[in-house]
Amino acid sequence: MWVLCGASACVTVRPEEREFLAQPSMTFGSHGESQAQEVHVLTNREASFGAQGVTGGGCGCN
Amino acid sequence: MQLRWHTRIVGVLAAITITLSGVSTAGAQVSVDATTSYFRESGGGLKTQSITPSVTIEGTARDVVTLFAGWEADIVSGASVAVVDAPGSGVDAVTSATEWADQRHTATAGIGIQSERASLRGSYTYGTESDYRSHGFALTARAELFERNTTFEVSYGRGFDHVCNLLQADAQEPVDRQRLDTADGCFEGADNRAELPLDLHTVQGTWTQAWTSILATQLTLSGQVLNGYQANPYRSVWLGRAAAQEHHPENRVRYSAGLGARLWLAPLKGALQIYGRVYRDTWNVRSVTAELAYEQVVVSGLRFRLRGRYYDQTGASFFSDNYALFPRGQYFTGDRELSPMSSWVAGGRIEYDLPPGDDGNVGPFAGFALVAKFDWIKWNFDSFRYGSTPVPNDRGIIATLGLQARF
Repeated sequence: MWVLCGASACVTVRPEEREFLAQPSMTFGSHGESQAQEVHVLTNREASFGAQGVTGGGCGCN
Repeated sequence: MQLRWHTRIVGVLAAITITLSGVSTAGAQVSVDATTSYFRESGGGLKTQSITPSVTIEGTARDVVTLFAGWEADIVSGASVAVVDAPGSGVDAVTSATEWADQRHTATAGIGIQSERASLRGSYTYGTESDYRSHGFALTARAELFERNTTFEVSYGRGFDHVCNLLQADAQEPVDRQRLDTADGCFEGADNRAELPLDLHTVQGTWTQAWTSILATQLTLSGQVLNGYQANPYRSVWLGRAAAQEHHPENRVRYSAGLGARLWLAPLKGALQIYGRVYRDTWNVRSVTAELAYEQVVVSGLRFRLRGRYYDQTGASFFSDNYALFPRGQYFTGDRELSPMSSWVAGGRIEYDLPPGDDGNVGPFAGFALVAKFDWIKWNFDSFRYGSTPVPNDRGIIATLGLQARF
């Protein structure tokens, strides 16, 4: 991972080349609260967790 | 009383919105996000449905200090099997499932400070439901490097939760414990109720990288340590001679790694979105998740997204579909989510940013967006049965509506 991090330092997309990267479709986490609510539903019905954002508390016991 | 409580929350949020609107005229940026989801899972006599409204308000002053607050509720009802695999159950257990209803409320408040290339945010969340209480603290640090082509984010969350249970003597063996049949008396000091702690530590690191003008990736590593009561106090499992409240290990360590990529397809004016995740925990659950999506810009401000998701997991080491014949050591569970299972999700989303007028505003707002989303879910529980009856409620939908306003 450190090698990749180091390699990434060589990668430079200049500000004037960021037109497409600035599109909401290209932005990670751009789906906000609606995605958080979906993650909450799925997390309560699967045994897995994480690597996709943080959700609220509660056990979903019932 | 509940209605008054809700009215008070809405009133407080409305007052904060009006205040922040006033503040926004003094140079601060304010945004409000109101989202509501409807979830329904049905089939046979078992079902669950929930309505999840949420409101989040965020204000940033002088591009340095951000204050945010939010409220979310889950209004849930359904029917579930109280004693899993009881003799003579099967269809009867499903058709005579226990009806239940509950509400969960969470309130969050936090503060952030940011410079041009770094930010630090802290928040506190309080959650309450009839049988559960939670206090959560989160701290997130973020830094942008290499002309903003690289972003690192690290977060730590600490949870102090309590689960209501039937008060049962410490000397009692797990196989003698009875399930909780109602939340009445929970967190009210009743003599026959106990409040069992659950401590959570959650760590997450994210690396987001722009590789070219049309390709970006995001790597996320998560870890979580849980210590405390992690079973469903309402559920019993048939063990051969009697039923006992399900009994899970008190310790669990969970790890996951996710990798996402986004590729802009210039001729189509759309983005291809790929996501994969692997997960493992000390209960020996392992899973993979794969998601493929395509997001299309229709016209400026209007875009839709189609996606498909596949999920597959192994069962927990102590899971058995029949503890009377095939026990798995000292632990036992009636939780279908701890069995080997898979699921499919297919859905779509449409988002519309209202176009600004000549003054650059959308009416009284600096910006206004509407979101509608729909997902269809199919679960496969091939290794889990209620007696001899397959899981009937193996289909679900999630429908979401939201609006985002900036002042």
